[in-house]
Amino acid sequence: MHWKEQYRPEEVADMLAQGVLLAVLDVRNEEEFRRWRLEGRTSPKMLNLPYFEALEDEEAFARRVEAELGRGPILVVCAKGGASDWVAQELLRPRGFQVANLAGGMEAWGSAYRSRLLPESASDTVRIWQLDRFARGCLHYVVASGQEALVIDPPRHLGPVLALIAQHDLKVQAILDTHAHADHVSGGPALAARTGAPYYLHPYDGIHPIDVLPAAIPFAYLQDGMRFSIGSATLEVLHIPGHTLGNTAFLVQAERRYLFTGDSLFIQSVARPDLGGRGETWAPLHYRSLRRLLNLPEDTIVLPGHYASAAREQRTDGLFAAPLGQLRRSNADLSLMEEESSFVRHLLAHLPEFPPQYVDIKRVNAGLLELDEEGLNELELGKNICALAGAYAS
Amino acid sequence: MKDFVIAQELDARGLQCPMPLVNAHRAIKQIPVGQVLKVLATDRGSVLDFKGWAETDESIELVKQEEYTDEQGRRVYAHYVRRVEG
Repeated sequence: MHWKEQYRPEEVADMLAQGVLLAVLDVRNEEEFRRWRLEGRTSPKMLNLPYFEALEDEEAFARRVEAELGRGPILVVCAKGGASDWVAQELLRPRGFQVANLAGGMEAWGSAYRSRLLPESASDTVRIWQLDRFARGCLHYVVASGQEALVIDPPRHLGPVLALIAQHDLKVQAILDTHAHADHVSGGPALAARTGAPYYLHPYDGIHPIDVLPAAIPFAYLQDGMRFSIGSATLEVLHIPGHTLGNTAFLVQAERRYLFTGDSLFIQSVARPDLGGRGETWAPLHYRSLRRLLNLPEDTIVLPGHYASAAREQRTDGLFAAPLGQLRRSNADLSLMEEESSFVRHLLAHLPEFPPQYVDIKRVNAGLLELDEEGLNELELGKNICALAGAYAS
Repeated sequence: MKDFVIAQELDARGLQCPMPLVNAHRAIKQIPVGQVLKVLATDRGSVLDFKGWAETDESIELVKQEEYTDEQGRRVYAHYVRRVEG
């Protein structure tokens, strides 16, 4: 393939999905590298060699790169794209290496998105775009029929969703959050202000579960059975408490059926029930809600709010989607859903660590805490931990 | 902490990574062994990078790091690097 000198995060995400990126040189310090790094459907060979190790002996640095990764093509990565560009330009390219830089570094990677049209919807009366914040495994959606659109779970970076809406000349009718998110800052209220469309959330999620304080943001109330019409399609709200008390899923009926599961059912796992601090009380609700989703027809296409492992959950076309019937057979957690009490035990036995920043993220989403851009970036660093841990244990 | 003499101050404020460290690496060769180079940077990433440099390079020692807000309201990260051998 043609190898450029600079790649944008979206391009790198595509290369990882396609399996064509084979070698990565990460020149950040070890501590940052340990915290998080490039991740995708495929895993390139990765070497962490901090750029400052090159200062004393450039030759030795280049020899180590060659020994571990060969002479390229290699993508060089750092925190903001400066040191990696310097390593590529000053050190490696003059020595004959084929190298490219990740423009903007991990900072840009962390807030970049890839938008893909769901192929199953291409011949339908709805068009569904899945927007993937790949550094965090967060998914959000635009559902359009004719020129009318609904936006589901928008993140705080409104650029990609606004670009898509403008590109396809869509009119946003409503913005829906499946629940009050704990892992990322919602763009719902801001997108409502930008587009004039109302922002919807289930009222049970309008109360911060740890603080037990009401949200200080304006929102309209979702409720079970409520319907939204766009073009020739309808979206029905299913109240599925468990992950949160106001957790919802959205069933879109067009020529096919699409289920936006938010944080309930993922491709390879289910959502955890403990982020509100009441895992034992909420786990049985979660079981019953998942049962309700499983009663939907087998060919319903599930579109989740997250993934934890692109390697395990991403299709080769880059999308995260699967028919419900397939999930019944292949989803590791669902296979244990025979009976309520044993499933509840399974849920509670596989809770990952409780991310301390999640309490604050929910405060931000409820309008109870205001932070600057740097503070928000800090809260949202790394991968989401919204799923049970069991399905990903290797 | 031992007293130290600051032989030179390097103002790398406003410079992006990797320049604060690249310039510091050049400047430290110009000061006498035992003395200290003070580097001012506004790049927050420099805090961990100077630590990492000191762990990697036996010819220098990181004496201390501090941060403050300068007269222009910028967050400044000051690194004190001692040259320990020729």
